[in-house]
Amino acid sequence: MSTVDPALLHAFVDGELDLKSQLEMEQRLAGDPALRQRVEEIRLLRHEIREHAGYHAAPETLRTRVAALRSAAGDAPPSAAPSGVPTPTAASKAGRTIAWGRWLQWRPLAVGLGAAAVVALALQLAGPPPSRDEAIAAEVVASHVRSTLGQHLVDVASSDHHTVKPFLSSKLGFSPPVAALPLEGSALLGGRVDYLDGRPVAALVYRQGQHVVDAFVWPDGGSDRAPVFGAARGYRTAHWTQAGMTHWVISDLNEAEFQALVRVMQRVDRQGG
Amino acid sequence: MSDEESWRRFEAVALPHLDAAYNLARWLTRNDHDAEDVVQESLVRAMRYLGGFRGEGARPWLLQIVRNTCWTWLKANRPAANVGIDDGDGPAHEIAAPAADEPPQVAMRRADRALIDQAIAALPAAFREVLVLRELEDLSYAEIARIAEIPIGTVMSRLARARAQLRSALAPAAARPVLRPVPKVAQNGGPP
Repeated sequence: MSTVDPALLHAFVDGELDLKSQLEMEQRLAGDPALRQRVEEIRLLRHEIREHAGYHAAPETLRTRVAALRSAAGDAPPSAAPSGVPTPTAASKAGRTIAWGRWLQWRPLAVGLGAAAVVALALQLAGPPPSRDEAIAAEVVASHVRSTLGQHLVDVASSDHHTVKPFLSSKLGFSPPVAALPLEGSALLGGRVDYLDGRPVAALVYRQGQHVVDAFVWPDGGSDRAPVFGAARGYRTAHWTQAGMTHWVISDLNEAEFQALVRVMQRVDRQGG
Repeated sequence: MSDEESWRRFEAVALPHLDAAYNLARWLTRNDHDAEDVVQESLVRAMRYLGGFRGEGARPWLLQIVRNTCWTWLKANRPAANVGIDDGDGPAHEIAAPAADEPPQVAMRRADRALIDQAIAALPAAFREVLVLRELEDLSYAEIARIAEIPIGTVMSRLARARAQLRSALAPAAARPVLRPVPKVAQNGGPP
């Protein structure tokens, strides 16, 4: 086996080599079974880590503390803080670095910077009024953030589309297409009724790897429109119209995965419809 | 320009990535309580820096703040963690025995998970952060380089070394399913 920088081999498995190095590596692999074996081992290890390593989601206690930051950011009286949040005195007594106490020190500065940020935002918004799609995109982001931030991801939790579809149909005046996606690492978590663009809409919730995907669907009399991809506040969005339904999808997947997801959704919809 | 509005922008930019923030802090501090403190302090910092946020890549932006807060915290509270020597958490954690009514596959998965978590926790912090950002947050090398403030080449080499360490740590377990029965050529007495 020829000598290869292990870092290059790992980058190859991660799809992070530039095109030239990628092609060179493929050529070497073609003529080197031992090297292919090493690549397979890296792939296996990577799969095992991604599959089994513990992901630490933010615990409820942290969410409570974040909510307390909000009370501190507003002009709510200190008594509005939930019980159990340590006071600065108690914190320094305990000898711990409790960010809460620092927050109180930083508060005037933070509020000032926050106000400056809002002025900057207001100046940006002073441009032309947002188009209808932009307005919907903002609502889509807000809804996705609200649902993933709170505990209200779904009204009906089921991976079975035969459960989710009738539930949504009964709550809405239409029957949204609901299907599991034939994608590795994809799972249907359920659905909820949401409100977008001034109407109740179906929201289908998927998990793709570690990421939550919201797919909003509502009937639209218009003709078919190819997907339009966009990005907002760190999320990727796509919207299209197919078979009389408008679809808006949002997630924080990376670009390639997100595009693959949208393609699969369109295909499943065509086959199912 | 009320506090309410600035909170709402903060809520939209930073809070969607609270899980990612906590996950990174938890893997770097290796302790629930410390991770919560670090994340809370990071969020306070994020509020201050929000004016400088350009609206692209909120998750890497927040993770960079969390990462820096973590390292400041580690330097102050776990100085040994910075010299790249594993300071461990005492003896290796016992792997929970499977409950009697647990299907073998579930028990196997739990054992795998405990082993892998233990192996990741034992990595030097500088390797651990690169691995966690890559495998658990699925970030690109370029994003990791930005977050950890290192060149992409260093991301590559640290990731390769982190995986090599994990591979040797997991080798005994990984070898198990690969073992094949030795062909019983001698039993029939005939030629192979």
